[in-house]
Amino acid sequence: MRSIRPVLGLLLGTIVLLGGTAARPADAQAPKRGGTLRVAYGNEILGMDFYTTPGYEMVWVATNVGCGLVSITPDGKFFPDAAESWQISSDGLLYTFKLRKNVLFHDGSKVDAAAVKFTFDYVLDPANRANMRQFLGAVHSVEVVDPHTVQIRLKQPYAFMMHVLAVYRMGMIIISPVVTQKYTPEERRAGKPEALVGCGPFKLVEWVKGNHLVMDRFDKYFEQGVPYLDRVVIRTIKDPVTQLAAFKAGEIDFIADFSADHVDSLRAQNPRAQIMTGKETTPMVAMMKVTVPADGKPMSKDRAPHAIFNDIRVRKAVGCYGIDRKEIVKIAYKGQATPWVGIIPPGTMDTVDVNHLCPYDPARAKALLAAAGYGPQKPLVFELMTNTEKSVFNVIATVIKEQMARIGVTANIRLVDKPSWMTTATQDGAFDMYIEDLASLLTVDQNSYLSASAAAWNHSRHVDTKVDDYYARYAREMDPVKRKAIARELQEYSADKLYWNTISGSPFYQVAQPWLKDYVYQAEFKVQYKKVWLDK
Amino acid sequence: MRTYIIRRLLQIVPTILMITLVVFVMMRSIPGDPVVALLGDAYNEEDAIKVRAEYGLDKPVLVQYGIWLGKLVQGDWGTSILSGRPVLKDVMIRLPVTLELIVLSMAVALAIAIPAAIIGALRQNTWADYSATSIAMIGVSIPEFFAGVLLLLIFSVGLRGTLPSSGWVYLPGTCPMIVCTGSLWGNMMHVLMPAVALGIGRAALLTRLLRASMLEVIRTEYVTTARAKGLSERPVVLKHALKNALIPTITVMGLQVGFLIGGAIVVETLFAMPGLGTFGIDAIIARDYQQVQGFALITAVAFVVINLLVDLTYTFLDPRIRYA
Repeated sequence: MRSIRPVLGLLLGTIVLLGGTAARPADAQAPKRGGTLRVAYGNEILGMDFYTTPGYEMVWVATNVGCGLVSITPDGKFFPDAAESWQISSDGLLYTFKLRKNVLFHDGSKVDAAAVKFTFDYVLDPANRANMRQFLGAVHSVEVVDPHTVQIRLKQPYAFMMHVLAVYRMGMIIISPVVTQKYTPEERRAGKPEALVGCGPFKLVEWVKGNHLVMDRFDKYFEQGVPYLDRVVIRTIKDPVTQLAAFKAGEIDFIADFSADHVDSLRAQNPRAQIMTGKETTPMVAMMKVTVPADGKPMSKDRAPHAIFNDIRVRKAVGCYGIDRKEIVKIAYKGQATPWVGIIPPGTMDTVDVNHLCPYDPARAKALLAAAGYGPQKPLVFELMTNTEKSVFNVIATVIKEQMARIGVTANIRLVDKPSWMTTATQDGAFDMYIEDLASLLTVDQNSYLSASAAAWNHSRHVDTKVDDYYARYAREMDPVKRKAIARELQEYSADKLYWNTISGSPFYQVAQPWLKDYVYQAEFKVQYKKVWLDK
Repeated sequence: MRTYIIRRLLQIVPTILMITLVVFVMMRSIPGDPVVALLGDAYNEEDAIKVRAEYGLDKPVLVQYGIWLGKLVQGDWGTSILSGRPVLKDVMIRLPVTLELIVLSMAVALAIAIPAAIIGALRQNTWADYSATSIAMIGVSIPEFFAGVLLLLIFSVGLRGTLPSSGWVYLPGTCPMIVCTGSLWGNMMHVLMPAVALGIGRAALLTRLLRASMLEVIRTEYVTTARAKGLSERPVVLKHALKNALIPTITVMGLQVGFLIGGAIVVETLFAMPGLGTFGIDAIIARDYQQVQGFALITAVAFVVINLLVDLTYTFLDPRIRYA
């Protein structure tokens, strides 16, 4: 066994490009205790069961109520949370964590190795349908060595085990065995405070859906002196105009996810506001369907070529040379996003700029279409699905429709609501192309859950197992330099095959009042209030 | 009268059944699947099949409706598929907010409509009448969201926080949650803009309607008789003319409840209010079938009960009307 530090150096030789533009005063002040932080979310919290409820909104609560073994800084360095130290064996198969002795759940019971093992066993049990289970495929077993030491044994080396523990989705949040067994999943989903006992800096006081979520400081939190805030109150304000008004009137201190469309207005109205963003970690895609079920049964393994986009010439004509990404970004994002071709967004670790592989070239697009049999006599017509969740999707769809017309292609826009899009895309429904920004990605590895051939979220339904091989090699490779090379190959291969058609990064913004101090921007990945304080 | 009320109450049952059945079937006919939303990024077919079976979503629609109805009879409104929260509990938390909004928006509407209609009718074809009619036209033309945004920009942004932009403060003693402070002043501050935004369109409609009724009534013989008896103009207008002119207006007010619930969805979303409107729209967007049924049930009950009350009001306004 060896110390974690050299391993960290290897694992994180490449810096996670999360570094945002969070405003932090140069003249660091002594934090003030007390006060209530008033937070606005743009979307409703769907439920409160940490391991089954989808959506970032719940994750942003879970990471304040719960604690994990380790956490991660914006520049990708791991630091202790409930574990005070850890070691990784030289073969990368055994992770040993020493737990702090003073970590308590909110009900006063101790966080020990048995609780950590229980958490892993709970997540790995398919009956519990935990959404973190998909990330624990490499785990062989978890053993209690002594009350404060726990070991995770892997089946094969996995370069992103620490990421899984710290940040994938919400990280592995330790749950209380007693409480978890006492209450039902419905009670957890419903946000019953007694059923949601964590070991984080804040304890859940109340969640009334549609009204508010309240968290209070946990006075016995293991880290002395924090959190500074007495209380955090989260409300949902969906309309950006109302968010703007509430912010300007000082009714809220922090907006956890602010609409990119309204950033300029907010800046103009509130010159002292802290507007935080970073390199985009979410891809905006124009996904093209590659295969369809041969037997007509959705999700069937028996696949047939999609009538239009299975032909690589058409995919490249439309998605590669026919789309002017710069123009889309200029119109849809007022230039505040990065035009991008690669499968991995511009802010994700090991991303590579492969834009040169898909230059905007209408003449070449037309030539490819002609080679594929399309032209004035047989014009290409396809359906472009977009949904009502964000107005930017519809702007992008409109621009693409116009760009398609320039190469003699007709894109008929179909506007649906979010659940219809989700059902169509996820359940192998009928579509030709859709516009959507998909999940935030910290690592290339995370994208395997969305784009490997067997992934449920492989919406293009490509069947190319070479993509899977790239992901598997990437995940197993412990040398960051070699890993980066694999990532490059994958991104070039993907741009060449265009199973996944990225348009740009999708910018993410958070906004804070000038009196909110020491908030650390970590994009969608973590929203933590532990060290936040109010200077008013 | 009692027989009439009982008969009307009994008529409510098939109406409610029909409405809830139509909503039940429609929700399951439109695209979108709550199970996909529930499983999120961990979606896989195996789990989806299990979840559908757990919630009975794999059964025929009419069987599902029968199960829902059976539970409803026992007082169980079901549990939200997504949040796991009991539907009845959430409906009861949100109902007072929307009720207050609707009542106050109607009050706003009447406070504007009655004087405007009286002035318009009594001073027909004068500048006062033209002004009232023009304002009514503008009011009818302004959708709730636009009125709401205008009010927000004026009172929350322009006049920097004169009125709160969003949220809700409960009336003292009515807060259904652990963490909240009831305050009459706070409540009034929070409800004022939404009530005006929702009420202004109704005011315009009622002004036009009431003005037309008033014009008709003030030309009737009994009004002339009242004047001939030497009554002053005030009791003639308020007691004799207005009371009778209100009958068609009251009918329309009852029917307007449905529109107000629809308008409440928009206004509550804009002002981030925790009422039934936001509950309903969130449920529909998430395809949370149980919540949608709860929303449909409560709004249907509210609609038919209010219209029953409206019918009963006629006997007070016009003693000639008798129900048997």
